[in-house]
Formats: sequence, structure tokens, C-alpha cells
Amino acid sequence: MTTATEDHARMTFDATSIQRPDTSLARYYGLVSLLSGPFFPIAFLPFYFKYITLRYKFDESGVSMSWGILFRREIQLTYRRIQDIHLTRNIVQRWMGLATVAIQTASGSAGPEMSIEGVLQANELRDYLYRQMRGARGETEATSDDSTQSESSDEPLALLREIRDLLKDNSSSEGRPS
Amino acid sequence: MSQQVEQVSKWIYGGLWGVMTGWFRVPAQPPALPSSASESIESFKPAIGFLKYMKFQFWVWLFLIDLTILIVELIIFANEPGVGLALLVPAVFVAIAPDIVVYLAMHLRYDTTWYVLSDRSLRIRRGIWIIHETTITFENIQNVTVRQGPLQRWFGIADVSIETAGGGGQQQQGQGNPWQSSHCGLIEGVADANRIRDLIMSRLGESQSAGLGDEDEASRSKSWSTEQVATLREIRDLIAAT
Repeated sequence: MTTATEDHARMTFDATSIQRPDTSLARYYGLVSLLSGPFFPIAFLPFYFKYITLRYKFDESGVSMSWGILFRREIQLTYRRIQDIHLTRNIVQRWMGLATVAIQTASGSAGPEMSIEGVLQANELRDYLYRQMRGARGETEATSDDSTQSESSDEPLALLREIRDLLKDNSSSEGRPS
Repeated sequence: MSQQVEQVSKWIYGGLWGVMTGWFRVPAQPPALPSSASESIESFKPAIGFLKYMKFQFWVWLFLIDLTILIVELIIFANEPGVGLALLVPAVFVAIAPDIVVYLAMHLRYDTTWYVLSDRSLRIRRGIWIIHETTITFENIQNVTVRQGPLQRWFGIADVSIETAGGGGQQQQGQGNPWQSSHCGLIEGVADANRIRDLIMSRLGESQSAGLGDEDEASRSKSWSTEQVATLREIRDLIAAT
């Protein structure tokens, strides 16, 4: 099912490089606040401040986003705790190439825990998150992190070997004088 | 004659579909799921019975609403012929215009709904104006519900709703609504609901985790490796020898 273009997009896409939303998000916010008509300034101001202060941080284990000037808010979550991913595009977002990637964890709220807006490569981001999710990786793909896994699981074996060698030394040193 | 009507309606719908995919950027292809080559991917639409089911409901509602409009119009006409005559055009408009929109929307809804199942996850696309794509891995599924009403049974379809962990205040027991709670994936109007349920449940059975964010590694390295066991035996023998 993966075509060459998809593979290419996956190769060139780097989620860790995403730090700021795209400028078209500001235009989208402007359009959305235009819907409120005469209350445009009041509606646009919170959107504007959100856009100005919005920061994303994707690392190996999780993602965090923060925004706000007066009331600051920062959300952190780990990829492994993601329950489901929702990609939503309304008609304006489709025209502007934007999307909302909503991530859900098993918390009690009905709404999504994190809504990532303003990423142009939303499909790639969604698939990146999907690949970090629990149960998404196949055996063939899991081999890459199996190497690191086997190194860490070698630790008990190393400890056991140490104990065995100590016992060997002990028994041989005890055996010699008798 | 009926063939011509069918041809024309097909042509109109094709044009509308072209506008949707071209101007409104509705994707025409089913959604893709990233997967390895060995995995089997199955993408399907709701059964044709789902469209018939929607159309049946549509005709029932159309009949009821238009009958009401007709009766109200007749009453007004009997009492005040002038007012009744003036209201005739708006009444006909109200009786017909929404029906066409709803009828087209039903077809569009049917054509924009896609379900994709892979070996480890599922993806659901739904929506015309707001396109909503949900991705859930089988590891995270908590329960699967199959629902079928009497009408749906008549049309041979059923709804499968797939729920993950997490709450949703507005959701009532056994009435998963994908618009209210997003901890739920709804596979609507499929003919082989039991097969899908069994498929998902068998995948669920293979998973050893509780589906609440426990690490894969925890279940993978539950037992001792052969090397570790061999070393343990050696240690036992050493202690036994002393």
C-alpha cells in the first residue's frame, strides 16, 4: 500500500523539526474570527496570541505543546499513551492545506487532549504519531529497536554471569586450602 | 424514459462529485494506512443496504413532512383563499428544496465514508464538509459493540462501534455516538458486521496488554532467555557442589 511518493514523503518528513505552526494558521485564525462579524477584534485577539506563542516540541518519547501569554498552558504526552488519533479537516482548512491532528489518551475527558494545528504535512505527522503508537509496529519494523532492547535485557544476564564467576572463584578458593 | 432520468441524475451527480473533489478538496481515494508489505490491508465502504436504509428513512420523513405541509396549506386555503394562494409558492419550495439537498447529501455521505482495516489498526474516514479521520490500533481497543435495529436488520446491515479507553461525559450507555465521544470508532452500515467483530476480537485476543499504555516490551520479555536459564543452572550447580 505504500507507494514511492509516500515513502519519499516519509523520508523527507522530520517531526522533530516542527517547532512553530505555519504562517497560514494565522490566516486561518483570521478567517475564522471574520465569521464573528463586528466582533472580529475580540475574536481574533486570543487566536492571535495563541498563534504568536504556540510552540511544539517533538522528541523520541513524546510531544509537548505550549501557548498563552497571560494564562500559560503546556501539555505533554508520550507517544506510547496515545489511544487514538483524529485528523480533521474542514473546508477552509482543506483550501489552505491545514488540518487539526487531535491526539487522545485514556483520560476522562471527552475532548482530545492535544490538538496540533498549523502543520502543513498533517498526513505525515499523523502517520509518524501512528508509528509511535502502541501496537502499530510490526515484527519486521520492531527489529530496529530490538537491538537496543537486547542490549538492555543483557544486563540481568551479565549480572548472573558475574554471580556465577564470583561463585566459581569462591568455590575454587575454598577448594584449594582443603 | 426512466433510463434517461437515471442517465441525467448520474451526470448531475458526477458533476457534483467533480466539484466536491476539485473545489472542496474532498479526497476521492480511500485513506491509506502505513504498513509493512506483508500485512493485508482491507478497505471497504458501507454496504449498499446502508444507502437503501438511509433512502427508506428519507422517504418516510419526506412523506410525513410534506403531508403536514399539504394539510396546513389546505386548511389555510379553505379559510383564507388569498393567503393560501400567496403561500403556495413558498410551501412548494419548502416541500421540495430541502429534499433534494438531503438526497444528494445521503449519496455524498455514502461515497465519502471509508473503512480501512490492517493487521494492527483501523482507520475510518467520514464527513463531507468536515472530513474526520480516526486511527485506532487494535492494541488500544477496549470493547467492540455490534448494534442492529429492526430496520437495519431488514436491510441486512449493522453498526460496529469500537471503543478505546477514556471517558466522555455526554455518552450514554450503549449509545456510542462518534460526534459526541471521540474515544470511539464507528463502522456504520456494514453487511458483515459479525465477521468484522470476530476479526477485531481475534486481534484483541492476541494482544497480551491491558490496552492502557503498557509497554510492548513488558509483554515481549516476560520469560527468561535460554542464555539466562543456562547461567542460572550453572550457578545452581556451583552452589550444589560446594
